Amino acid sequence: MHDSKLGIFGLISDAGPIVLFVLCILLFFSIVSWAIIAYKFGYVRKSLAESGAFLDYFFEVGNVEKIFTESEQYRNGSLPRVFRAGYVEFRAMGQITDPRQAKARVARAVKREANAECKRLSSLVPFLATVGNTAPFIGLFGTVWGIMNSFQNIGITQSASLAAVAPGISEALIATAAGLAAAIPAVIGYNYFTNQIGSIERDLEEFSPEFVSVCIKE
Amino acid sequence: MKKGLYPFRTDRKFYVWIASAAAMHLLVFFLALALLIWESGRHVRTRVVNVTFVSLPGSGGAQEISEPGQKTAAESSETETEALPKPQPAEQVSEVSKKKIPEEPQKTKPADLTRTLERLKQNVDRATRQTPSSLNNALAALKQKVNSQGSAGGTGQGSGSGRGGMGSGFGNGGTADPYKAQLAMIIQRNWEFSKHMMRSSSDMEVYVRINILPDGTIREIVYDRRASSEYLNMSVKKALEKSSPLPGLPKGQGNPDLWIGFVFTPEGIER
Repeated sequence: MHDSKLGIFGLISDAGPIVLFVLCILLFFSIVSWAIIAYKFGYVRKSLAESGAFLDYFFEVGNVEKIFTESEQYRNGSLPRVFRAGYVEFRAMGQITDPRQAKARVARAVKREANAECKRLSSLVPFLATVGNTAPFIGLFGTVWGIMNSFQNIGITQSASLAAVAPGISEALIATAAGLAAAIPAVIGYNYFTNQIGSIERDLEEFSPEFVSVCIKE
Repeated sequence: MKKGLYPFRTDRKFYVWIASAAAMHLLVFFLALALLIWESGRHVRTRVVNVTFVSLPGSGGAQEISEPGQKTAAESSETETEALPKPQPAEQVSEVSKKKIPEEPQKTKPADLTRTLERLKQNVDRATRQTPSSLNNALAALKQKVNSQGSAGGTGQGSGSGRGGMGSGFGNGGTADPYKAQLAMIIQRNWEFSKHMMRSSSDMEVYVRINILPDGTIREIVYDRRASSEYLNMSVKKALEKSSPLPGLPKGQGNPDLWIGFVFTPEGIER
């Protein structure tokens, strides 16, 4: 047997103010999480793709001028951006009198840009972790509150029949369901981005010395 | 440094994504709503029998039978027009109820049952006046049928209305069927409803139809219209589930299953 399934919407409309407030918070969390997921997905994917293509070109062509010109085509890649920062620093020095000092300056510029790139990549991602960790608890709070009201109703009606208790509990459980609906994509997104950003960071650490040595060799 | 420009670009892009996510949530919400509405409207429209329930569970005493509400008038006109081409059930009921009169009044609730039967008679008379020729034909056919199945019909009524202390069925044609009246009594007996749980007093009508299998099992419950109180809706569902299995369908039923509609209202709850 089944009834018509407008029930979920009916439960939401019948929910108390606290449960509604909890649902609004969870809706906000869900919207922001999905926005971060969509925004970061495009950003990280572009960065990975352009970094890969740039590295291919970097090892294929030895001339630093050509590499710099080519890197202008990869505006969204992390590695090209770091390389450009090192190259700009190298050109700003003009005549190199002390190669060791020049190398240190370029290395500093590369490191600074690599750090900035890491921050840029991992910005907003911690919010996903926050949502993943807190949304189920917020939902649970709404559920506990709703169940408290249900028990109060049992006291008022002096009847513990399922018909008296079940509506309140099902209303309350909507909050837990909403919490899980907000948390699950957030956790999946957080794990995915942590993995991808970690891989880009490892690339940055690995290839930064290469960029420096290519510039100073010239 | 010129990197300061980046946050502005990313923020603007991010706000676009926020708006997109909000739109996506709205879209999903409305799609789900539309899907549910479409799903509920997809069922075939069936004949609806209106029964107004006026019991307060737990009171234990006899309840008054309520007048059919004004709101059900439109519904009743619909059901009458649908029922007229097939006058058999109404006529069968009239025959059956004529038999019922001598048996029941002394045993239980004489005043209520007499009133009910009077109304039923009036309904049948009205219907007979409106379509005399078709009803005459149906009468002839039914007389033959009743002659052949007379004893079985008598037993059915006795058990059905003998328990009717709580009162209830009202017909717009189809309710006069003793089987349906019996169902209404059983469902009402299993209906637990408390006014303390109601949050509002408006829009307190639940239109429900149920699909009954030949063995009396309720296969499907469909809410045609829900009350604003989810508690009332749930109490109706629980009552129907608790009542399943209902008595088996009467013999001679043409279809393998039967759709019957009910209207649940908490009218008279203050009594």
